[in-house]
Amino acid sequence: MTAVIDDDRLNETFAALANSTRRAILARLAEGEATVNELAEPFDLTLPAISKHIKVLERAGLVVQGKRAQFRPCTLDATALEEISTWAERYRPVWEARFDRMDDYLVGLRPQRKAHSAR
Amino acid sequence: MTDENSSQDAVVIERTFNAPVALIWQLWTEPEHFKAWFGPAGATIPAANMDVRVGGARLVCMEIDTPGGPMQMRFTGDFLEVEARKRLVYTESMADKHGNVLSSSQAGMPDGHPTTTEVTVEFEDLGDGRTKMVMTHSGIPADSPGAGGWAMAFDKLAALVEAQNAQ
Repeated sequence: MTAVIDDDRLNETFAALANSTRRAILARLAEGEATVNELAEPFDLTLPAISKHIKVLERAGLVVQGKRAQFRPCTLDATALEEISTWAERYRPVWEARFDRMDDYLVGLRPQRKAHSAR
Repeated sequence: MTDENSSQDAVVIERTFNAPVALIWQLWTEPEHFKAWFGPAGATIPAANMDVRVGGARLVCMEIDTPGGPMQMRFTGDFLEVEARKRLVYTESMADKHGNVLSSSQAGMPDGHPTTTEVTVEFEDLGDGRTKMVMTHSGIPADSPGAGGWAMAFDKLAALVEAQNAQ
């Protein structure tokens, strides 16, 4: 079965991973499920702040938060990670973003170029 | 150990830019231009030294804001092919502040990962002021610049994914 990689989803996954607190949360969850309280422990952050990070991870499909009781333990969802498990797929969005910036940069250069090439 | 799928481990991206090939070439080979587009959001490029000729050295320093303060990453390499406005090939490895290449273990990567990746850029003048560019980046994840901060987290998580698949 070939997984079709959704670009938006991939971008969301990368955005979620581009934060050291969230990566640390994932690393902790890689060892097993944990409650928000447990996840907050190593950080100098408030529970609402940690909850916000978890929400981002949840939207990116990296974490599932249980619905039961008041503990609502979080678990790691490996699906999104599988999509980016090859090096090329991890790195592709980095280059795509660079070339988007290249495009923007070229647009910014344009008036200047016109001025220079004006006859 | 080399990944058995390593032949697929390359990023190939084709883009057409609404700019002449001479300018696109400058964006890759002139530090002031290069700094403007290369760094990821939240990062700056304090230094980009490029001796653009075959065998010439390349050193790019990237500074990324982290909660623990700014973190600098350096990438060094050589130009392997320089064919103005047509083709550019260079290598890239993580380096210390003196520009010495770090082995994968020194860079905090698992043993067995090659330390070098290679970037090939092909330029094609489309003749109407536009340029087609094909970028190929081949190499191994742990040593890739963009993977940098994520590499270790990924390694840990990849192991978990494998463990879950085995269940």
